[in-house]
Amino acid sequence: MNFDSTDIILSLVKIAIVVGALLNVTPIMVWVERRGSALIQDRVGPNRVGPFGFFQSIADALKFILKEDLIPAQASKWLYTIAPMFGLIPALTTIAVVPFGRAFVIPERIVFGHTLFAGGRLFEPIAADVNIGLLLVFALSSMGVYGIVTAGWSSNNKYSLFGGIRASAQMISYELALTLSAVSALMVAGSLRLVDVVQHQTGYFVLFNTIKIPAWNVFSPAMFLSFVIFTVAAFAETNRLPFDFAEADAELVAGYHTEYSSMKFALFFMSEYMAMATISALIVTLFFGGWDIPWYDEPATFFGFLLSAMAFVAKISVMLFVFVWVRWTIPRLKYDLLMKAGWKVFLPLAVLNIVLVAVFIANHWI
Amino acid sequence: MPGIPTNYFLILSAILFTIGVCGVLTRRNGITIFMSIELMVNAVNLTFVAYARQFHSLHGLIFVFFVMAIAAAEAAVGLAIFIALYHHRDTIDVDEANLMHW
Amino acid sequence: MVELAVFFVFAAVAVIFALVVILHRNPVVSALSLVASFFALAVMYVLLEAPFLAALQVIVYAGAIMVLFLFVIMLLNLQHQREETTRPIQQALGYVFSAAFGIGLIFYLIKYAWIRAEQTTPFNSDARAIGIRLFEAYVFPFEMVSILLLAAIVGALLLSQRTDLRGRPTTGVDHPSGQNPEGAAASPRTGQPSFDAGQPSPAAASRRADPHHEGAK
Repeated sequence: MNFDSTDIILSLVKIAIVVGALLNVTPIMVWVERRGSALIQDRVGPNRVGPFGFFQSIADALKFILKEDLIPAQASKWLYTIAPMFGLIPALTTIAVVPFGRAFVIPERIVFGHTLFAGGRLFEPIAADVNIGLLLVFALSSMGVYGIVTAGWSSNNKYSLFGGIRASAQMISYELALTLSAVSALMVAGSLRLVDVVQHQTGYFVLFNTIKIPAWNVFSPAMFLSFVIFTVAAFAETNRLPFDFAEADAELVAGYHTEYSSMKFALFFMSEYMAMATISALIVTLFFGGWDIPWYDEPATFFGFLLSAMAFVAKISVMLFVFVWVRWTIPRLKYDLLMKAGWKVFLPLAVLNIVLVAVFIANHWI
Repeated sequence: MPGIPTNYFLILSAILFTIGVCGVLTRRNGITIFMSIELMVNAVNLTFVAYARQFHSLHGLIFVFFVMAIAAAEAAVGLAIFIALYHHRDTIDVDEANLMHW
Repeated sequence: MVELAVFFVFAAVAVIFALVVILHRNPVVSALSLVASFFALAVMYVLLEAPFLAALQVIVYAGAIMVLFLFVIMLLNLQHQREETTRPIQQALGYVFSAAFGIGLIFYLIKYAWIRAEQTTPFNSDARAIGIRLFEAYVFPFEMVSILLLAAIVGALLLSQRTDLRGRPTTGVDHPSGQNPEGAAASPRTGQPSFDAGQPSPAAASRRADPHHEGAK
C-alpha cells in the first residue's frame, strides 16, 4: 500500500462529498417528511418559510440551536451527554463502504508547471474500499443501538428506559434477518465488497431473447424474497414507523429521547435520518443495481461518473420517499407481534432464501 | 510493511487478562464477574490472532472464530442463569448464591 | 510509525476501559466500557492483518453479546444494587494475587515467549481463506458449535422461564400471551424488591423521591 499526496487529497474529496451529502439529508428529509405527511393526510403542511416551506428546516435548526440545553438532575451526566454521539457516529461512518458512482480515470494534466495525476489515475467513488465491505456496514450499524440504549438508560426516566430496552431487543432480533438476507446478494456476487456487488448487477437478464431487463438483484427470482426481508428489517433497524417501538409516542411519550432537548435531541433526529439514508443506499446497492443506469452504458469518464452518481441519488430518493410513505400509511404493530414476526417469520425466511440462492447458483441459473 | 512487533500484542493481552482475573477475584456482582470473564476470553483471542499473524497460520483465526461462537452461547446461558437467580434471590450478588438448589 | 501510534492509543483505550469495567460500581457503565474495550481490540485485529475477525469481533461481541448484557442489566434494574464490602481481607488478597499473577505472566512471557524474528511478509487472512479452511479442515467442529448453540438456546429458554412454587412454568402476570419479552419487563415483580428492603442507600432513597420515577406509576 503506497500512498502519495494525490491519494490523500482524493480520499479527502470523497469523504467531503459523502459527509456533505449525508449531512444535507436531514433538513431535506424533514421537509419531505412534513410535506409528505401533509399530502397523505390531506393537510397543507409547513408552507410559510420560503417557497413551499422549503426553508422550514433551517428555521427548525435555528430553534434547536437556540433552545436551552437541559440535563435532568438525576441523569447520569456523562452518558447522557455522549449518548447522542454514540448514535451519530455509526450513522455517519457506515456509508463509507458504499460506492456512489462509476469509477473513472482522471486524465493527466499540467497545472502551473506541475504534472497532476501522472499517467491518469483511477477515481473509485467509494470512501473506504476495504475487502470486508458489507461486514463493516453490519459491524458499524450494530453499534447504533448503543446510542439509543445509553440515552434511554442515562435519562433516568421510566419511559426512556423502556424505549432503550425495547430498542435493544428489537435491533438484535432484526439484525439477524437483515444480515442473513444480505448474504444472498453477496453469494451471487461472490465477494464482500459492494463494488463487486454493483458490478455484478450491471448486465442484463434477457427474456425470450428479446426483452432486456437490468440484472438488478430485485428482478432476479431468487433474490426478490431477500429484498422483501431486507427492507422490512431495514425499517426495524432504523426505528421507523411500523416498528418505532423505541420512541412509540402513544405509549412511551417519546421513548428514549423523552428527556432530550436542544442540539442533543437534534443529533438523535439527524442520526435517525442519516441511518435511513444509509440503509436506503444499502438497499439500492444490494438490490437495485447501485449506480447502474438501466439500458445505458455509462462511459468511464467524469460525465459517466456524474450521470451514475445522479442515478444513485435518484434511487436513494425513491427509497427515502418509500420510508416516508410507509410511515404515514401503516400503523404501529404490537410489540410481541414485532418480536414474533422477527424470530418466527423473517429469520426462517432469510435462511430459506439462502438455501434457494445456493440452489440457483449450483445450477448456474444466475 | 514492518508492522508492529508481536510481543507488544502479547503484553497487551497479558495485561487485559490480568485485569479480567482481578475482576473475577474482587467483584461480587455476578454480571461484572461475567464481564471480567469475557475480558479474559478476549485477551486470549488477541494472543491467538497475534500468533496467527506471527506464524502465518489460519488455525489461530479459526480458533478465535470458535471461541466467539462459544462465548455467545456462554453469554446466553450465563445471563439466563443470572435472571433465574435474580427471580429467586432478588440479587445477583454471588455471595448470596450459596445453595446449590434454591 | 502511524501504526505504532494507533497501537499505543488503542492499547491505552483497551486497558483503561478494562479497568473501568472492573472498578466501576455501576454495571451499566461497566458494560459500556467493555464495549469500548472490545472495540479497541477490534482495532488490534485490524493491525494484525485480520480485518475479517475485526468485523466479527464488533458484530458478535460489541453488537450482540454486550447488547444482551445491557438488556439483562436494564431488565433486572441492577444499577441500584450496591456491593457492600463484607470481606475486606479477601478482597485485598484478590488484588494482591491478581497483581502477582500479572507480573508473573509478563515476566514469563518476556523470558520464554519473546519473539525475536519478526514476520515481515503480509498475511492473507481474508474471508475467503478463512471460509475455505473452516469448511475443509474444521467442518466437524463447526457442526459441533452449531449444536452447542442450539443447546444454549434451549438452555437459556428453560432457565429464564418463570416458575411458580412447584416449579411449573407460569406465564406473565398481566400478559396472557406470556411469550412477550417486554411483558416480562413491564409486569411489576410481585413481592417486595429486596434491594429496597434493607437499609436503602441515600441515592436509592432520592431516586425513589425523584418525580421522574413516579411518573410512570
